[in-house]
Amino acid sequence: MPDSVDWKVADRRIGILFIVPFVIAALVFMVYPVAEAVRLAFYEYNPLRPDDSHYVGLENFRAIFDDPLFWKSFEQAAVWTACSIVLQTVIGVALALLLHLPLRGISIFRGLLLFPYIVPTVVIALVLQWMLNAEIGVVNWSLKSAGLIDENIYWLATPSMAMVSTIALNVWKYTPFVTICVLARLQSIPLELYDAAKVDGAGALRRFFDVTLPQLAEVLTVVVVFRTIWTFNKFEEIYLLTKGGPGTSTFNLAIYSFEQSVANLKMGMGAATGVVMMLLLFAGSLIYMRVFHFAEEDTP
Amino acid sequence: MTIRLEHICKHFGPVEVLKDIHLDFPERAFVTLVGPSGCGKTTLLRILAGLESASSGAIYHGTQKVSDLAPGKRDVAMVFQSYALYPHMNVFRNIAYGLKVRGTPKEETEQRVRDVARVLEIEHLLERKPKQLSGGQRQRVALGRAMVRKPWLFLMDEPLSNLDAKLRVTMRGELKRFHLRLETTTVYVTHDQLEAMTMSDKIAVMDHGVVQQYATPEEVYNRPANTFVAGFIGSPPMNFLDGAAIEDGKVTLDCGGARSSIAPSPLAGAARRNVLLGVRPQDLSVHDAAREHALPAEVSLVQLVGSEKLIDLNYGTNGRITAQVKAESPLAAGRKVWIGFDPARLHLFDPASGRNLALAENA
Amino acid sequence: MNAADTARQALAYLVLLLVTFFICFPLIWALSTSLKPAKDVMATPPRVIPREVTLANYRNLITGKQQYFRADQSYVPTTAAPQHFTAWFGNSVVVSLGSTLISIVISTLAAYSITRFRYWGRRIVPYFSLLGYMIPSIILVFPLFLVMAEFRLTNSLWSLTFGYVSITLPFCMWLLWAFFRGIPIELEEAAMMDGAGRLRVFVDIVLPSAMPGIIAAAIFSMIVSWNDYLFARVFINSIENLPLTVGVMHFFEGVHVDWGLMMASAVLMTLPMALLFMLMQRHLVAGFGAGAVKG
Repeated sequence: MPDSVDWKVADRRIGILFIVPFVIAALVFMVYPVAEAVRLAFYEYNPLRPDDSHYVGLENFRAIFDDPLFWKSFEQAAVWTACSIVLQTVIGVALALLLHLPLRGISIFRGLLLFPYIVPTVVIALVLQWMLNAEIGVVNWSLKSAGLIDENIYWLATPSMAMVSTIALNVWKYTPFVTICVLARLQSIPLELYDAAKVDGAGALRRFFDVTLPQLAEVLTVVVVFRTIWTFNKFEEIYLLTKGGPGTSTFNLAIYSFEQSVANLKMGMGAATGVVMMLLLFAGSLIYMRVFHFAEEDTP
Repeated sequence: MTIRLEHICKHFGPVEVLKDIHLDFPERAFVTLVGPSGCGKTTLLRILAGLESASSGAIYHGTQKVSDLAPGKRDVAMVFQSYALYPHMNVFRNIAYGLKVRGTPKEETEQRVRDVARVLEIEHLLERKPKQLSGGQRQRVALGRAMVRKPWLFLMDEPLSNLDAKLRVTMRGELKRFHLRLETTTVYVTHDQLEAMTMSDKIAVMDHGVVQQYATPEEVYNRPANTFVAGFIGSPPMNFLDGAAIEDGKVTLDCGGARSSIAPSPLAGAARRNVLLGVRPQDLSVHDAAREHALPAEVSLVQLVGSEKLIDLNYGTNGRITAQVKAESPLAAGRKVWIGFDPARLHLFDPASGRNLALAENA
Repeated sequence: MNAADTARQALAYLVLLLVTFFICFPLIWALSTSLKPAKDVMATPPRVIPREVTLANYRNLITGKQQYFRADQSYVPTTAAPQHFTAWFGNSVVVSLGSTLISIVISTLAAYSITRFRYWGRRIVPYFSLLGYMIPSIILVFPLFLVMAEFRLTNSLWSLTFGYVSITLPFCMWLLWAFFRGIPIELEEAAMMDGAGRLRVFVDIVLPSAMPGIIAAAIFSMIVSWNDYLFARVFINSIENLPLTVGVMHFFEGVHVDWGLMMASAVLMTLPMALLFMLMQRHLVAGFGAGAVKG
């Protein structure tokens, strides 16, 4: 049989050898932690007393579902996500539309757009804490000298303002991403579509609604779904600015899980929260796949 | 030493791509594998290269069985359709790569690369990278890379198809000249029958994984083995006429009910039999007046092709035929003419199998 | 170009400027604050360009000198001692480089394998990676912590180096798979005809062609590892082993917060990423263009 010649066997062995490190790494660093995270959800686990851990069935889930803080965190996460996504999408698309022009220097600017993404969250959180400091921060000073406010705003010390501040951080960091994706799509819309619309008598606004928006529909849906999945589970963007505070007013599920495991030493409950987050993530991904399929059909 | 392909079969899963290919390539010959897309010619070439393995069968170079060897160990060189030049290496290193891999000493490598570059007239390009070259230049580099190794077999996978029409014509001649100079067996794959005809010593016409005919260009043109070869080779393509038959030593054609005799039959045998008649447009003569054995017809379309005209003609109830005449001909649509057939230039095929009846008799 | 187009262009430039301002201002303000002497940091009106420039904050960070605040003739320690800053910086560098190296090597080999060889499961790998990429790190961090504890690696840089593989490997795999798919196989076939064996083909031909994708994946890995807070916070508990992200948060523990010092540390933390980013900009944009819609 020609296929059993020596060189082919040796060649194939190299192929298998090359995938082995990945398989090992995937098992150890991806599959195992997730499996363990699910397992832990059914156990009582105190990290300082690991030998005391024991199986508790659905007790952790009952505990978190009975905990009003869990639901508060969920609700706050939803609000936070919704506001962030709306802002990111609207601003992101507006920016992209405006940048879709042969302006000079646009390529430099496009590079700049990715800058917030590479800045460590810690850094922007630190800087914002400094800028938003009620007494000596530059934001309050600017607002007061512009006459927009009389009193200092306690950006991080009142629940509603803390929400606003964390949303602002999230928008700052990730809007450029939306812009880049939309801009890339805008640039691939064939110009003939606009020419045809112009010939048909469509004005600028009509052209936006009838040509641009439909073309953007796919990429926007993909971006929105993806960003929603991600934003819902963000930890650092909130924690580093407010630690979930003041009090628990900016808690989301990720912070709730963290607090259970680290502050309350109830890793089981933290893991149970994690399982809930994963289920939500899974549901979101299904939506994403359905949408992605839809988007892929029309993609050249 | 001849190269022999013995009973090569290849299937990809349930699909049989090559069915019992059995060919001999004479030494130093230029052999073309020609056929439509999907006929298996590229697969066969890749099996020769070692990039694919045959499902069964073997390849011999003289007495040595090469089908078990890795592609790098066969000492065979290939020019790819996309040239496949290494983009991060300059032309010199591209050509030298094969020598370098084999551990050829630096001075010898340098010498051989420069020799090849001189022959191909690309010496001035040696420092450039592939993306800085034109299509024709890249092709020469690909040739150089193959030539420098002095293999016993050259394989070429549609090397001219990426060039524009004019360059293609020039390169056809150049490739043929190189072949004669290098005196190495070359197997060339193309879908263009003109390339096959002008360049080859022998042509293998392939369709659906089977070699339909393996012969010299002259034979393939004048004595096609079946309707596929007859229709594939030659431009404009051969006319195939239904309703033809051999009876009483004559070839007759059905034209709207009656049968008219158009030529004495080139085949022996008294019994009447239906045939598929093939005749090339160039082998027809068109006349103003009736004459013996001529077929009455009406001109439907005239197309000027430079020094010739292609005339589409209707005969009988719904018979159609194309003839080629000199450009000076005054024929126009609507004219009534008579078509003359040259009995020596008629091809008679079995209607069921498509085989050329003349060849079958001699087989 | 008519009036409407000109107006739109003018508006576009204006918005460009505004957006640039919003994107850059935080870092500019941080830089400005870090260069001011202590008395000017909280002075009003706040100035973007400092009246007086001092490198004292940076010096203190790099030399690790303690900061003191003079109030009522007594010395009160401000921001927690910066003496570990250089250690933190070194830790970040080591961990980022280490995990990047591991992820890149693994994913390059794997991407080549799944695109060039045929075996069961090869098509699952990239989609599996994409799935893994979407799992938030809060879910992974505690089980991984337990794994590290098993191997007695907690509180060491090794735990982070390996830990970060779990968050960088999936995306590297996805990116490199997409990239390797685009490398024409004829190049390798030509090299094989030239006599090169599979390994030689991989090193001589495939790796150079894959370099842009590898660089993009490497930059991504570096950024993710450098910027992470959560893993470091959970895995490391002794102050000398912290990377920058967790370390600088310790600066809030002094009696008074020295904002100048904090901002200087923020700048120094961002600088390597900014430099990396500027140098490799084209690779980054190209890499993200390859079908990656990340969050």
